[in-house]
This record gives sequence, structure tokens and C-alpha cells, in this order.
Amino acid sequence: MIEKIKETVKKLFKENKIDIFIGYSEGTLPLRSTPCFITRSEDIEKLVWNSYCSNNLAVYLPRFFVSQRGAKDAKLPRIGILAKGCDGRSIVGLIKEHQIPRENIYIIGIHCGGMINTKKIKKVDIVAAEEKNDKVLVEDEDKKKVELKKEELLADMCKTCQYTAPAVYDILLGKEKQKTKKEDREAFIKEFEKKPLEERWEYFQEQISKCIRCNACRQACPNCYCKECFAEQAKPRWIGPTNDISDVMFYQIGRIFHQAGRCVDCGACVRACPMGVDLRVFTYKLIKDVKEFFEYEAGVSLEEAPPLATFKQDDKQEFITEP
Amino acid sequence: MENKKFKIIKKKEILKLLESLKKEYSIFVPIEDNGDARFSEFKSGQDIFWDYRNTKISPKEILFPQAETLFCFGPGAEVKAEGSTPGGKDYLIFGIRPCDAQAISLLDKVFGGEDFEDPYYLERRKKTTVISLACSKPQIDCFCTSLKGKPENEEGADIILFDLGEDVLAGAVTKKGEKFIEKQNKWFKDAGQSDVDKKDKLMDLSLNKIKSQIDIQNIKEKLDNAFNDLLWNEIHQKCLGCGICTYFCPTCHCFDITDEINPKAADSKTPEGKRVRCWDSCMYPLFTLHASGHNPRPTYKERMRQRIMHKFNYCPENFKEIFCVGCGRCIRNCPVNLDLREVLVSLMSLGSLCKDKKI
Amino acid sequence: MNNPYLPIPVTIKKITIENEARDIKTFDLVFNVKKETEKFKYTCGQFAEISMLGIGEAPIGIASSPMDEDLVQFTVKKYTTGVVTSALHNLCPGDMIGIRGPYGNGFPMKDFEGSNLVIVGGGFALTTLRSLTRYILHKKNRAYFKDITVLYGARSPGELIYKSELKQWDQRDDINVHLTVDRGDKNWKGRVGLVPNVLSEIAPRSENSIVLVCGPLIMVKYTMLPLMDLGFKPEKIFFSLEMRMKCGIGKCGRCNIGPKYVCKDGPVFTYKELQGLPQEY
Repeated sequence: MIEKIKETVKKLFKENKIDIFIGYSEGTLPLRSTPCFITRSEDIEKLVWNSYCSNNLAVYLPRFFVSQRGAKDAKLPRIGILAKGCDGRSIVGLIKEHQIPRENIYIIGIHCGGMINTKKIKKVDIVAAEEKNDKVLVEDEDKKKVELKKEELLADMCKTCQYTAPAVYDILLGKEKQKTKKEDREAFIKEFEKKPLEERWEYFQEQISKCIRCNACRQACPNCYCKECFAEQAKPRWIGPTNDISDVMFYQIGRIFHQAGRCVDCGACVRACPMGVDLRVFTYKLIKDVKEFFEYEAGVSLEEAPPLATFKQDDKQEFITEP
Repeated sequence: MENKKFKIIKKKEILKLLESLKKEYSIFVPIEDNGDARFSEFKSGQDIFWDYRNTKISPKEILFPQAETLFCFGPGAEVKAEGSTPGGKDYLIFGIRPCDAQAISLLDKVFGGEDFEDPYYLERRKKTTVISLACSKPQIDCFCTSLKGKPENEEGADIILFDLGEDVLAGAVTKKGEKFIEKQNKWFKDAGQSDVDKKDKLMDLSLNKIKSQIDIQNIKEKLDNAFNDLLWNEIHQKCLGCGICTYFCPTCHCFDITDEINPKAADSKTPEGKRVRCWDSCMYPLFTLHASGHNPRPTYKERMRQRIMHKFNYCPENFKEIFCVGCGRCIRNCPVNLDLREVLVSLMSLGSLCKDKKI
Repeated sequence: MNNPYLPIPVTIKKITIENEARDIKTFDLVFNVKKETEKFKYTCGQFAEISMLGIGEAPIGIASSPMDEDLVQFTVKKYTTGVVTSALHNLCPGDMIGIRGPYGNGFPMKDFEGSNLVIVGGGFALTTLRSLTRYILHKKNRAYFKDITVLYGARSPGELIYKSELKQWDQRDDINVHLTVDRGDKNWKGRVGLVPNVLSEIAPRSENSIVLVCGPLIMVKYTMLPLMDLGFKPEKIFFSLEMRMKCGIGKCGRCNIGPKYVCKDGPVFTYKELQGLPQEY
């Protein structure tokens, strides 16, 4: 697979179709791949494709198109990007929200079999790892090797992914992957919804109190491209910058609600969070509600109008009046 | 550590010792928290997380909390400085890893200083006894030996402990540490040669586990002329601009000052509230944004450069110390695996033909 | 231990609107406790943190002269995005605020003695230069300095600040005052032209002279060219820089240019010093 990717990228550079390519290269830690920016064709060899390519690369795109003062006539870069299903959906979102021009993005779509969540490996002292088909071989300090099933290590969002390949692409590589059943992916949130209000509130508070306001969730999110986040606005000032529970709560609620109808469940925020805050239970609730109320899923079509930017006579309204 | 007089204490006894000190000290110990280690105030009946890998959040939060009140204000009330230690008790930081203890000695330089002193940090610091726990659990991203550190580094500690299993070996580092042990003499016995040998073996083993070694000799001088180097255009590329590296760093100390008002009294002519300082990060765009809209560090590139230069060039210039202890937290927690070691290695290659960027 | 973070209470005695747009005001402040006045010993070019409880703090250059007794003045421009400056502009005489300081190095006034001084200001950045000019013109000090030239420019006549004081200076024969505006209006009889160009025209001598430049970055940058042409030495050119600040005492870590902190190593730097620092301001 990696050879195919390299070949495609090589061709793109050769045919002068892109100025820069964003993919993954080998990370410095076991079970890690790292985002990689290629501008010279000799660096293409650095590219890798494995089960650790978890970062959503779409997050890097808007910054290339932020208009620089005095550079109005500057030529916009043409960017090639490797896109898993979720990355691809984020790209669609960014195009629809006019953050990136479609014609400047060359999307190499790839069928994704899901990415590993390293936190699921309880054995903490891994010094090396190797991926072999559906298994991961990890090695500890004493050179002891343990074989783990990849399936058991998959990140939660990957386990229930419905869009393993992007809907919008210029070329699509790889073989189609099996999707989970629809009812499966909503099981966890339905379970959560059943709990009494107090219990849900308690869970929210418990999770939120872990937050240290490092902003990693926001910075890792392709949707969070706002030049000035409400959380930092000084005039008017909505919240303080501290890790006080009231500040944190307002920050999280504000940020998460801004994702309604936009979140693609890529899990970038969850992965970036160093404190292990279960953000997905909140973002997924939004996804489910938007789907239920408006029959809309983010990032799967360039044409369909975003639900929160349109009004239809028959839009559901109960959720406003009867929360 | 030549000729240091070591004492020995049973591990079981340590809990009793700490229990007996609770009246006198606010004691902070490593405990298990959410699968990670974190320093927390010692509670009766609680065990210490002895063989912890380093804490996720650095113990700098004890002396330099993420948010602290500088003073309160209110109608009629004069501004009042907050007492800096709870209950006015002394602080005992127990079981801190040597890299983090060294980091405290670096923070001392920032918050102390010839011209202005920071009373909040310093008053707390003066009342603090630091008991470090020599490191037997280095991780693959630890690189303290590339800097000034080693598993038994004493800098910043008053007493250093070695976990020998059932026993704990203790050596005083400072006068304060000596006095502490003297005062608590009844808990300790003199250590025998075999205990010391055991410790040496343990430390050798630990040192061998630190595989990551980078050569950053003369990095300060290297960076003296590196400000305008093109390398910075590449180094920052994958940075997301979050605050993880700076918040988790035991030596990062930049802060913001902000006012919080009691919303109930918000409209009153004399607002009621407090002035708070909290951690801030040079990786955030607002950090240097002027009210006029001008920003001297407008992009990721300038901000990343500032973080690296601050630690490896500006601080060495101002304090004669590199502000990195090699604890590896920024590497371990970076969401995009932007590895400081790689950055340093590529900066070290400036002006030379060395192209090997392997760690 | 002395706590540098505590603001000292002061009362606003008088507010002067300085420009046509009414977004620049000078605040005359008097310490609530008399002995604080004596403690607040400052030199020209230093700044203080203006502190408004519940709002925040902002570093502002001191506009009064150390020779002015019993009051401290600050000239503050209101920025729409500036929380403190906006709140400050809503205050009235009699209101109480706080200040802490003085901070920064200030101009090395002793070193300037025996020299000619060329004072170049732009826009509302004249504040600390006004402090310095007032200091020099004081009868106790004037004899220590030689020729004094002031060149002050603004975008339009309505943007010139300290107008009455400028008039007073102009009427004296121991100081040369040149005013200029980028664009005049029907009442403006004075000079029209950009500060750097006017500087070339009036061509002050560079021997035994010190230049002090404060203004918008772009003006400061383009003023360097004529200054070099006129033969001024980099170590004789002084600037006062601005940076976002919080603590004012070199701890909070945001106002550095390379290893130098603008709050305590600055805000006054010579051109020579700046040439040795990264261009990040």
C-alpha cells in the first residue's frame, strides 16, 4: 500500500500538480506515526502507512490559506493530502465552510482499517513495536515480546466507523474495508442517554474536572479554525483562562456545541487530550441528534447544505422547547 | 556522592513518619490517579505510588499552581495578598523524581532574581523541603543524561531517597535535609555498606535504561546565530499550537494575570473579585498580541522558535542554565509526536555537515 | 517580602482629551496615600502597570516628568480591542484606580548631559518623550543639555497631542519645535510631510547629538535611513519599545526580544542594542 502512495505522490510532484504533500512518516516512539510535510521529491521515501497514522491531517489545511497581510496576490499553494475516511470528511467540511479551496487540494483517499489507540495497551513499558497483518508485536525493556490483536486495540471511533474512505477524493487507494453495523455504533451513546440526568451531569463534571485547559482538543480539531476562539475573546470576555471548573465547563460546552452538525467523529480531540477526558460521549451525542433531527451527517457530501446554516419548514423543534 | 552518610528506613515506616509530620507539613506524595501518577496531598491510610514512572503533570504545580489568587478585592475591602501556603504550614514534597527536583532549582532562578522577587513562589519555596526519589524507572523518551541529569541527580533536593525494595536509603543533600533527618532520627538507622552497594547497582541499572542520548554540547552557542535560520520553517510545521508541551514542562513558567469578578457584583462601582495568575503558553497566538492588533510572533514558526530559544539560548544567557531537564514530558504527550530531541538534533546540525538526524 | 503585584491606589484628578477623535486622554493621578508619592520615584522613559480591579492591567509609559510634583500622568489611547484602555476611558475625575511600578530602565538622562538632543515622535507615542522634554526644559535641568530639537508628526492635525504644551515649547527660544502632519486640513498652516522626510529636511547635526525616537514601528523603521545618512551613530539613537506585558517585572515571560525583556531590560534600547537582537518586535 505504501508503495502505491509513494508512487502517486511522486507522480503528483513530477507532473507539477502539487507544491506540498501532507502524509505520515515514522514517529520517534513505538506505535506512533507523525504528520509529515513533503516539498522535495527525495523526501517521499519517508512516507509510511500503518495503524498508527491516527492524526487528522485536515487540521493543517486552513493555515495554508489564511490570507497574509500584504500577500494578497500571493499564489495559493496546491496541497496533496493523504486522507482516511475521517480526514476526508473533515476536508469536505472545510471546503463547505470556505476555509480551503477545493481546486487547491489533491486528495489521495485511502481505505482505512482503523487506527490503534496506544492507551489501550495496558503494558506501559513498550520500547519497540511492529505491525504484522492483524497483529501488533510489542517489546518491553527486557526484550520480552507480546503479540496483541489489532482489533482489540482499535480506537473506539474506528471500531464504529461508517466511512472508512473519504466520500470526496481525487484518487482512492486500497481495498474497501468492512463497516460496522449502524446500530452498533450508537449503542454506547444510547446506553448513556438512558442514565438519569443527575448521573449524566455527574459524569460530565467528573470528566471535565480532569481538563487542564491546554487547548489540545481544539487545536487538533480541523473544525476549530476560528482566528479568535470565544474562549480567549477579551471583549466581551466570556470565560477566564484558568482551570477552574466553571471556566473549564464553559469552555468545553462552548467548544463542543460549536461542533454540532460539523463533527465527523474522527476522534482527534480525544486522541490529543493528555488527560483522558471522554470528550466523545458529548460530541457523539451531537452527531446522533443532528442525524435524528435533520438527517444530516457531516463531511459526506459537498452539495448538501449544513443543517445549522439552513432553515426548513419541517425542521424539528422539539429539542429547543423540550430539552 | 563521595562519603555521603546514608541512613536507612523501612518502607513501611515511611508512611508512619509522614503521618507524624502531617501536623507540621502539607505533604505532597505521588499517588495513582486515572492510571497515571500525580502529586497529591498525603492523606492518612493512603499508600505512596513507589515505583511510579514519572508523573504526567509535573510537580511544579505544587509550588507554581496552574491558577492562584494574587489578591482579592471588594467593596470597601483593601486589596489583600493571599497567604501563599495553606494553613501557613510548611511544605514537604516527598518522592519527586530528580529531573523535577532539578527543575525546581531552575524555577528558583526565575522567581527569585536580583531585581524583583516573586513573593508567592518564594514564600512557598522557602517553607518547602524537597525529598527526591532517585529514578529507577526511566522511560524511552527520557533524556536527562543528555543534559545535566542522571537518575541520582541531587540538584534541587534536600534529601535523596533510593528505593531498595523493603528498605529506603536516604542521603541528605543540603543543610536543611541534614537537619530534617537529624530531627527525625528515631525513624532512621545508619546504612551499611551492603545497602550502599545495592543502591549503586540500582543506579547503574537505571542509567543503562536511558537509551536516548543526544549531543547538545554548546547548543547555546549554536543557537546564538540560528534565529534567522531556514530550519525554523520546517521545525514548526506539524505543531498544532496547543499548550501541552509548555503546561507539562517542569521548567516552563510563563503566566497570565487576569481578573475574575463575582458576577453578582459585576455592575457595582466597586467590583468584587480576585486577581488570578494562571499558566500561559508561548505557543498561543494571544500570548504576545498587542492591543493594537500587532503581533510580534504571528505564526506557529515564531512561537515554536521562541519556546526552543527560550529554553536553550535565552535562559542560558540570562541564568547560565538550560531550561530543560530531559524529563521527556513534552515528547510523551505531544499529540503529533513533535519530538524535542529531533528538533535539538537538527538544530545541532546547523553549520556542520552532520546530516544524521537519528536520535 | 515586598509584593510587586499589589497595585497602589491612586485617584484621577483630571482628564484631558488630547485629540480630535477623542480616543487619546491624559490622566492626572494622585496617590491616595502621600508617602506612596515619595516611593514612586521614576525616571523619564519608565512605565507603570495601570490597574483596574475587575478589569485588568495595562503597561503605559509615564507621560509626566520626574520634576512634576505630587502627580503622575499617563496618556492612554483607547483601543477597541483593549479591555483596560477602554474601561479607563470611561472613568471620570474622582474615580480610583491602581498603579504599580515604576518599571523598566528609562532613558539614561545622566549620559545625555552635555549633548544636543534630537527628539523624534510620531502619533500618540510622544508620551515618554514629552516626559523627557519636560524634564530637560525644567529650569533646574536645562543648563545640563545643549541644543534641543523636537520633531513631532501625526497623521492629521487633529491627531497631534499635547497641543498647548507644544505651543509653549515653540514660544521658548531654547528649543526648536517642528510639527508635521501626513495630511493637512484647511486650518493647518504648518508643515505637511512624513516624519522621516521632514527629518532629512531639517537635518539636525549629528556631532555630539543623541536622538530619541518613539512612534509607530513603521515610522521608526523609516526614520533610521535619514538618521544614518545624517551620520548618527547607532549607539546614540534611542528607542522606546512596546510589547504585550503582564507582570512588568521579568517573570511572566512574554515581552522578550531574544534574551532581553522589554519590561526590565527595556523599554529603552539603543539602535546598536537592537541590531544585536532578533527582529521580533
